[in-house]
Amino acid sequence: MKKTNPALAARRAFLRRLGRAATYAGAALGVGSLGGVQKVAAKNESTSGTGSFPTKDYDWTKRRWAFGVDATKCIGCLRCVEACKRENNVPGDAHHFRTWVERYVYLEGEDKARIDSHHDPVNIAASGSEREYRFANRYKDAKVEKAFFVPKLCNQCTHPACVQVCPTGATYKTVDGVVLIDEKYCIGCQYCVQACPYGARFFNARKGVTEKCYWCYHRITKGLQPACVEVCPVGARIFGDLNDKQSPISLFIRNNRVHVLRPETGNAPNVFYVGLDKDVV
Amino acid sequence: MPKHIVRLIILIVAGIAAGWAAKSYFTAESFYEYGHYRAASVPEIAAQEPAYQTPRYCQACHGERHAQWSASNHKTVICETCHGAAQGHPQKAKLSIPADTRKLCTLCHEAMPGRPRTQPQVVLAQHSGGQQCIVCHNPHAPKIAGVPVKVAGDAAAGATKHAASCAGCHGAKGISPNDTWPNLAGQHGAYLARILAAYKSGDQKDVAMTPLAQALSDADIQNLAVFYAGLSCNGTATKPPAGDVAAGKALAEKNCATCHGQTGIASNPAWPILAGQKGGYLVNVLKAFRGGLRKDPMMAGVVRGLSDADIANLAAYYAGQRCEPTMQVGRTP
Repeated sequence: MKKTNPALAARRAFLRRLGRAATYAGAALGVGSLGGVQKVAAKNESTSGTGSFPTKDYDWTKRRWAFGVDATKCIGCLRCVEACKRENNVPGDAHHFRTWVERYVYLEGEDKARIDSHHDPVNIAASGSEREYRFANRYKDAKVEKAFFVPKLCNQCTHPACVQVCPTGATYKTVDGVVLIDEKYCIGCQYCVQACPYGARFFNARKGVTEKCYWCYHRITKGLQPACVEVCPVGARIFGDLNDKQSPISLFIRNNRVHVLRPETGNAPNVFYVGLDKDVV
Repeated sequence: MPKHIVRLIILIVAGIAAGWAAKSYFTAESFYEYGHYRAASVPEIAAQEPAYQTPRYCQACHGERHAQWSASNHKTVICETCHGAAQGHPQKAKLSIPADTRKLCTLCHEAMPGRPRTQPQVVLAQHSGGQQCIVCHNPHAPKIAGVPVKVAGDAAAGATKHAASCAGCHGAKGISPNDTWPNLAGQHGAYLARILAAYKSGDQKDVAMTPLAQALSDADIQNLAVFYAGLSCNGTATKPPAGDVAAGKALAEKNCATCHGQTGIASNPAWPILAGQKGGYLVNVLKAFRGGLRKDPMMAGVVRGLSDADIANLAAYYAGQRCEPTMQVGRTP
């Protein structure tokens, strides 16, 4: 077979598109927008007819993912943070992370909680390195009135502000309920980082793109649990499909009084919490 | 129509056509297929390989360990929580065996404000005496089966039973005549009762002991335990077997002393006294634990790393210890 020069092929493809565009322009002038409508209809038919999307074993129209956090069970071991880093190749330092755990401590006589997370300098010092994660036992001799841990991650909101502000269509909401980032289309403008009311996004300077938790989309589309859910030793993280009434998450929401973080923002989060407290936002 | 208007119309139409062409050219094929994004990016993201493989993956090769773990109260802690992601293992990468268990285990078990009360927690400084956690706890089955059984029986009845069934091998005074069979005199009653019950139930097996123990009633076991516990272990010390006593002492301090005592006097009556025990018997038992012939989750973890020389040294050390001060000591920790 004759070898084709790639540059030539690209040029041919361009001319083909140019021709098509000219035809449509003509058609649009002649018979209104009928041609365009037909084209869109044809495209939709071809994709839904060829089987499941996005992979051949996984159909995203059949699932409605949701996440649960039982903060009363969390022991603050930070295995989820470590697993997430490894699973998703997140930058190794303590200040870039897709999921994190907050510790709230009320000391006797204080009204406000003292809040820290694994990237607090005291906790980094306790672990000995930025690549290991550990809560320092800094309140062991203090008079603690009340203390608890709250794991946090992307809420995969139903009305995500981050998607609304993205200028390039690089972040979007999938049919099965996860907000993804197309790293090839992200231009690194970081509007989404500012738009997120939960601080779930960060900018990966090495790649020049924004990053965040996507509930291990590459795992859940293969029938696995997200890595953080998998490694949690106490079952504080719950994951599943809302379409399945017997899934762990359906049972969790049905059998508990669940809350979401910052409902007033109108983002309609999909991470449901048990055991939140007045100061947790 | 005036000429300049026609030119304007041509210019506008050409501009629209050029704009349309540019948009078709620069927009990715799958953009708008499902929405305002590139549909092809979804399968791209879904195609990433998982790093964490789940315990089922580990089970294929580490079946025995998996069975032990999945029956223990650590079954909610998956293999990769401690050993790291199994991606590429075993073909490309070895997984780590955590060296510093004091650091690893305290991630979950250090007493800390904020941890739920149901979580087992320790104050490290008061708990281990500076030892590694795995010295006593098998991480795959961490609960220590050291709750002593209450022993209550009739020593005189035990003596009768002893004379009839046991004295032939274990000696008239509970001091065995050879190096292979254990001394029983002065041993913790709770330990003896537990082991005899294990022989009876089949949890522990031995050609000679199994049929003998099966013939015992529960009351017999209690009587025997009380009888042996009350005997004097004086005269147990025989010539210690070959082995480096100093090396055995060092190893014992590191691996055994927390449960079996510095000189082989176990503080918890559920655990055996080793001081003055027969050296050959100690060697055999340690090898049986190491080979899995005798099953105990804690001992399996402790002896895993011992060489034959280590075992000989330990046996030499404990066989040479005096058992006297241990007598009648039955305190619980």
